[in-house]
Amino acid sequence: MGSPNRPLNPRRIAVLAVNTFTQLVRMKVFYFLGIFFVIAIAANFLDLPTHSAPESAGIGVLYAIKNTCIGLMSMFSLVLAIVATGLLLPKDAEDRTLYTILAKPVPRLDYLLGKLLGITALILVSLLVMDLLMTAILTVRTNQVVESQQQMGEAMGYSTEMMAQVEQETRALGPSWNLQGAVAVVFMRSVVMASVALLLSTFSTSTLFTAIVGFLVLFVGFFQADAREFYFSGTGMLGRLGSAVMSIVLPDLQIYNVIDAVIEGKLLTAASLLKVAAVTLFYFVLYTFASWLIFSRKEF
Amino acid sequence: MDPAVDIENLVKVFRPQFGGRPLRAVDRVSITIQPGEVYGLIGPNGSGKSTTMKALLGLVAPSSGTCRIFGADSLEVDSREQVGFLPENPYFYKHLSGAETLRFYGKLCGLRGRSLESRVDELLDLVDLESARDRRLGGYSKGMLQRIGLAQALVQEPRLVILDEPTAGVDPIGSRQIRDLIFALKKRGITVFLCSHLLEQVQEVCDRVGIIFRGRMIREGQLDELLAIEDQTELILKDASPELLEKINRLVAESGGGEMIRSGRPRTTLERLFLRETTDRKN
Repeated sequence: MGSPNRPLNPRRIAVLAVNTFTQLVRMKVFYFLGIFFVIAIAANFLDLPTHSAPESAGIGVLYAIKNTCIGLMSMFSLVLAIVATGLLLPKDAEDRTLYTILAKPVPRLDYLLGKLLGITALILVSLLVMDLLMTAILTVRTNQVVESQQQMGEAMGYSTEMMAQVEQETRALGPSWNLQGAVAVVFMRSVVMASVALLLSTFSTSTLFTAIVGFLVLFVGFFQADAREFYFSGTGMLGRLGSAVMSIVLPDLQIYNVIDAVIEGKLLTAASLLKVAAVTLFYFVLYTFASWLIFSRKEF
Repeated sequence: MDPAVDIENLVKVFRPQFGGRPLRAVDRVSITIQPGEVYGLIGPNGSGKSTTMKALLGLVAPSSGTCRIFGADSLEVDSREQVGFLPENPYFYKHLSGAETLRFYGKLCGLRGRSLESRVDELLDLVDLESARDRRLGGYSKGMLQRIGLAQALVQEPRLVILDEPTAGVDPIGSRQIRDLIFALKKRGITVFLCSHLLEQVQEVCDRVGIIFRGRMIREGQLDELLAIEDQTELILKDASPELLEKINRLVAESGGGEMIRSGRPRTTLERLFLRETTDRKN
């Protein structure tokens, strides 16, 4: 049997993760859920505009609810991923809590993973709560829209088949597994950004620095595929190498843009979801490994 | 039997990130502490005490030399199985209560279930924080924080406890409680390695002392040997009459081989006076 002090001890990582989760919960970070609640409810009170045909009646409201909720989920999860991760590590070092933890038989890799998993658990729980609220609002609102479409269809003499077709199309814009897939992609994107912030915080001296650089990486990540195309296309072997290095050093976040397609009602295939999961795993392992390389040599 | 602490020719040089002169914080320091000993490392600020302790805990890597704890290299995680550490002015997680803090550190050391719970109870009792067990650390006083810090250091029943300025910023009553705890550890055969500015406290609790200055160990040895003034003898008399004192003085003068340097009433220390007037009155 291996030594219990070897790195990657799941129990020890879980202890650190639960502590990080509790710490963030008791720092009252869940208060932002209140803001989400208010905005999501407000989006539900948008008036149904008048339309000439039942198939377009109320569709815009469903788009607005999804757009607002997924947009807020993205924003909250990314801010949490960057700021909370950037805050916790320097705070532990500054308060010397880190000394007492590392003075116990705790490998540094386990400490890093515990912190990271605690933050991702918090993001996951937050997203689940927000998702639950969004699904509830969308369900109510979709039923209202379908009802008003049916009234309008009846008044305009639509056949039963035509009405069934309209209802099917409208319900596809409501709560669906497709939408749950988009929430999963939002979560995976925040996991990547949390691991970027972890890497930054292993060598940064302040939370502010980590937050600023973290948001810059996020910004660049959204556009880096275009930048690679612009700078390296047609530049031969060297260009391809430069392009590969750029997409490793900075995460390519364009792959996560499938979220927008889902909001527009496009199907998120299992293959695309798996591809996003694989890219997320790649970046998570890469940045955590790089964090460990720096952190294992760090002196306090 | 391996020594509890074996530091051999430890050198630590800090090199500034952007050039500048390297700082030799610890210069060829060697310390050996046998199991069960209480060892005090004293020295002025910036003399290298904390760096030596951090090297022993693997928090900094030696530039050269070695640090071993019960034979295990300090850079290995396994060496920390037998160590409890209380840093100077510790801030633990404010969001946790006293009991939760001990549970957290206990779990990190692999303790679980009933054995962990009974250990938490035992330690809270030992450091006299039973009444504050469910209070969050954000509401603890400095002395209470030091005591919960000492309790977390002891959670896995280590054979070596390292204390960095354990009474810094603590009032005399809290300071005495910590001193009593060190005595209790000594009684249980636990090795204690402490560094402190409070020389009187070091003198009270330590078996051996090392004096470090500008990174170098300048004196080391048994406390009694270091403190004894070779050419002087102390006589303490109780209820001595003035006549008897006069006789002694005369005898000394007549002997021709010695000289009476001072006689008078021995004094207590201000700390002892304060403690007698406050703690004893409370009781």
